[in-house]
Amino acid sequence: MTGDALFEVTDLVRRFGRGGRVHALDGVSLQVQRGQRLGIVGESGSGKSTLIRLMAALDRPTSGSITFEGREITALAERDLGFLRAAVQLVFQDPRSSLNPRMTVGSIVTEPLRAAHLRRAMDAVDPRQRLREVLAAVDLPSDAAERYPHEFSGGQRQRIAIARALAPAPAVLIADEPVSALDVSVRAQVLNLLAELVDAHGLTLIFVSHDLAVVRHLCDSVIVMRAGRIEEQGSAEQVFAHPKAEYTKALWAAIPRIRTDG
Amino acid sequence: MSLLRVNDLTITFGRRRSVAVDAVSFEMGAGQRLGIIGESGSGKTVTALAVMGLLPETARVSGSITLDGHELVGMPDSALARLRGDLMSMVFQEPMTALDPTMRVGRQVAEVLLLHAGRSGDSARGQVIEMLVRVGLNDADRVADSFPHQLSGGQRQRCLLAMALINSPDLVICDEPTTALDVTVQARVLSLLDEVLTAERAACLFISHDLAVVSQVCTDVLVMLEGRIVEAGPVARLFSRPEHPYTRGLVATARIGDVMPGQRLPTVEDFYRREAR
Repeated sequence: MTGDALFEVTDLVRRFGRGGRVHALDGVSLQVQRGQRLGIVGESGSGKSTLIRLMAALDRPTSGSITFEGREITALAERDLGFLRAAVQLVFQDPRSSLNPRMTVGSIVTEPLRAAHLRRAMDAVDPRQRLREVLAAVDLPSDAAERYPHEFSGGQRQRIAIARALAPAPAVLIADEPVSALDVSVRAQVLNLLAELVDAHGLTLIFVSHDLAVVRHLCDSVIVMRAGRIEEQGSAEQVFAHPKAEYTKALWAAIPRIRTDG
Repeated sequence: MSLLRVNDLTITFGRRRSVAVDAVSFEMGAGQRLGIIGESGSGKTVTALAVMGLLPETARVSGSITLDGHELVGMPDSALARLRGDLMSMVFQEPMTALDPTMRVGRQVAEVLLLHAGRSGDSARGQVIEMLVRVGLNDADRVADSFPHQLSGGQRQRCLLAMALINSPDLVICDEPTTALDVTVQARVLSLLDEVLTAERAACLFISHDLAVVSQVCTDVLVMLEGRIVEAGPVARLFSRPEHPYTRGLVATARIGDVMPGQRLPTVEDFYRREAR
């Protein structure tokens, strides 16, 4: 293990289906350093979402190991995962399905603070004060707490999801296609907000996306995945300026660009 | 003479008569490729559905839509049904919901042909296979005998394209046809679309939120915002010298590759502040 690795993933395999016919992840190894901004890119079926679900202990691997801050997490029972749940938070693609429509924004955002096994892993915080802090951090009005998710636009709902993720003061933020379901006109705002928050809170960012241009903008290092394997990994600069894998070149070339030559 | 002429089209919904499309006018010539860009709720899909005559019954439509000299507003559904699939056709975003999951795709493509050309089933098969080959499905026989779930997303979207083009319509409406596809598949489907539209000499009304995709396929663009057209013009001019502040914002946000990594991204709000609704 080198230096300050937060996550150490070794030879991770995840199979699905009868007899494990579907190899969703097929021997993936990687490290995430503290403060790193790692982009994971790939097309559907590449295994990128399976990988982060395993890293967040939302699913268990078929074989292989994941350590977080030196502790093996793959075999832990849910009640022993409090330290990981408090330190690693997720933002999902579609805030319409990731926010409970029957809860107020206030109770959605403070829910992680009320969960028993997270509380044990955290310093004591005043939920009301924390709520005000995180709503302000994502630029939502303070009266947002009493309202319900449907009263907000798509971009604002994703801000609510980000506020919830920030509530337990995590070390790692995992964002799975956080702007793909949003209108083009608000994507830039949410991306700017994520970048600001990562800076201000010194977060480690794991950013999953099919959009290479967004990853190039936000991340300092990149993993390109295909069919459950890592095709290429390196610094963002190197992967995008001098891609080695043919697949990375093909992905990069396929991005539509604005044509103004008529 | 223009192929499609939309004049002062206004569409309202529901008892509160909320306005989805507000006095929209535009024209398309034969073979023209016109893009409509705008965010969700801007009225771009509702405009397309009005042309196709596919609006729900709660919609109230005023103004005029003429296609090849036929007035479509107020036309009885039976007459519209004859034009749909014949003079005009549509490709939807999600091929899994646009295709019937219980029917082999070859039969679904043949259905369009039989309904409009009144051909018998036997000769239709040959034409269906030929069309599937033209949309780049090389193993057309196998695809024709498959159910939608047995095909990939790209293959399904090609089947929809085959259905839309098999009667050689004058106008093909595409509503976000590649948004649900992976980028490499999207690139292939777009270049194929370009090819077949040129070969069929069909005009295309292409709806997308993705400016880059529109610039690849279209020659002209309309920008819609809150039910109105705020700017229109040729692709080359509109994307290089946008005039309306909202368009300038859209173009700036779409040019993410021009921003230094780590720098703040431009947002639409930097250019255009909308009134609180």
